Amino acid sequence: MPHVSSSVLRRLVDEPLAVPDRDRRHLAGCDHCQTESAEAARDAARAARLLGASDQVSDTDLEWILLQDRLEAPGAARRPAVRVPRRLMNVSVGAGTAAAVGVLAVGVAAAAALTTVYAPTHVAPVTLSGSDLRAIENMTHIGTAQLSGELPPSGSRQLAFGDLSWSTAGRTQQVSSIARASAMTGLAFTAPATLPSGVGAPDNIMIQPQVTITMQFGQGAGPGIGGSTLEITLGPAMAVQYGGQSGGSRLTTLAVAAARRPVATSTGASASQLESFLLSRSGLPSGLAQAIRLLGNPAAVLPVPVPPGMWVVRTHIGGAPAVLVTASTAFASGVVWEGSDGVVHAVGGLLDREDVLNVARQVG
Amino acid sequence: MDTSFVTRLRSSPAQASQSAFERFFREEYPVVVRIAFGVIGEAQGAQDVAQDVFISAFQRFPDPGESEHARAWVRVAAAHTALNAIRGERRRDRRQQLSGAGVPPVGPEEAVLDSESRAEVRRALRRLPRRAATVLVLRHNGLSYAEVAEAMNVKVGHVGTMLRRAESALRKELQYASRF
Repeated sequence: MPHVSSSVLRRLVDEPLAVPDRDRRHLAGCDHCQTESAEAARDAARAARLLGASDQVSDTDLEWILLQDRLEAPGAARRPAVRVPRRLMNVSVGAGTAAAVGVLAVGVAAAAALTTVYAPTHVAPVTLSGSDLRAIENMTHIGTAQLSGELPPSGSRQLAFGDLSWSTAGRTQQVSSIARASAMTGLAFTAPATLPSGVGAPDNIMIQPQVTITMQFGQGAGPGIGGSTLEITLGPAMAVQYGGQSGGSRLTTLAVAAARRPVATSTGASASQLESFLLSRSGLPSGLAQAIRLLGNPAAVLPVPVPPGMWVVRTHIGGAPAVLVTASTAFASGVVWEGSDGVVHAVGGLLDREDVLNVARQVG
Repeated sequence: MDTSFVTRLRSSPAQASQSAFERFFREEYPVVVRIAFGVIGEAQGAQDVAQDVFISAFQRFPDPGESEHARAWVRVAAAHTALNAIRGERRRDRRQQLSGAGVPPVGPEEAVLDSESRAEVRRALRRLPRRAATVLVLRHNGLSYAEVAEAMNVKVGHVGTMLRRAESALRKELQYASRF
């Protein structure tokens, strides 16, 4: 009997049950084939180790948003096309069949069941008064104190219009280095090379894994909304806090943070239906409702809440719209912007606005 | 008023095909980026390749559910585009060598990988015949024999032969490189 073919020896590595018995019998008694088989197994293992991408991290939601941004950009249709050589693949486009049309119909139905309704591309300020915050607290049953770190990793609340639940991929934690935080969150983080006078070394690096919030609307919630589910993902995020130069003080003088932009998907309700629903809530202060209306496109704006009494300036960092907030005493400033990579950046500290902007321009 | 792409998708007559494309993207993106990562060995580069692949796929298959070939096309396109990207990298390496410039700093994600092995693998993939490199990255990034056959338009029975030859060629390239 001839030796076992290289194709069969290779398949023996991946799918041993697919190899015919006669080949197995030959292999058992043939030194040549056993040597070849061992080499095939070693080569396969080496290739798997070198080419496998098990450590690859990808965020499909974010990449879908980035793809939409690129398709929306002027000149997208003229971009050089990716081509596959004919010798690699010889396909004819447009060979649709009745079966394929059926698959498309099912696909459209499934896709309609889950659509991206919120994918902000830039920031804009919204002033929130104390009464606005209390109104939001009353509507969501979640206090600002809880939002600032006391919220349990998962939980739920029953609201007037449905059930709100949330879960996190892990707790907020301190990590040992910026590189570690970056690797754990998948966020590319550029530390500022030049720090303002009085700012010391990083003394605290924190990460927040992704948080998923789900709003299951009750049947009576309203047209288009009732029975639908809204899922919002926040983060992951990382923050680097810098201490003072004197060394003795633990006071944070500067903080630099980055987070994936929030993304919301809905099983049925459109962005405008959700906006109308939110604005029609009886507990929502009219001033806040008007501020939200003035934001324009509800799917593309990330509102930056601004406490009353702060000075707000719209500016740009790295070409992206930014919101610069300064305390009226000018002892503290902060700036927030969203980069073209879909990462929201924030820089703030006990610094004047020029120092904060200098740091932001190094980061963005 | 609202002119975002997202909103236009929902209000235009092409709504159905756009929704179908999003579904197609969500199904295929993890596979495509994994294939690209297998070649490039670096997350940012793999994501860039995947974006380019889907930009072209959208122009070519606006209704991917109507095409029997969209799935196979994006997978081969991922391998092909990533292999083209590392071909460009060879030019950059040569340019840096000639100009005396140092190696650019690596990001934290890359730092946790064995960058030396990655560089050697990329050099070996560049020297392999294109079909051999493609079958390697497709098979070793999760595609079954049947899916590799579909993507490369060959019979399933031929995949084992192609794979065996390609893995043997990869070993020889790496052994050749290690002698220098």
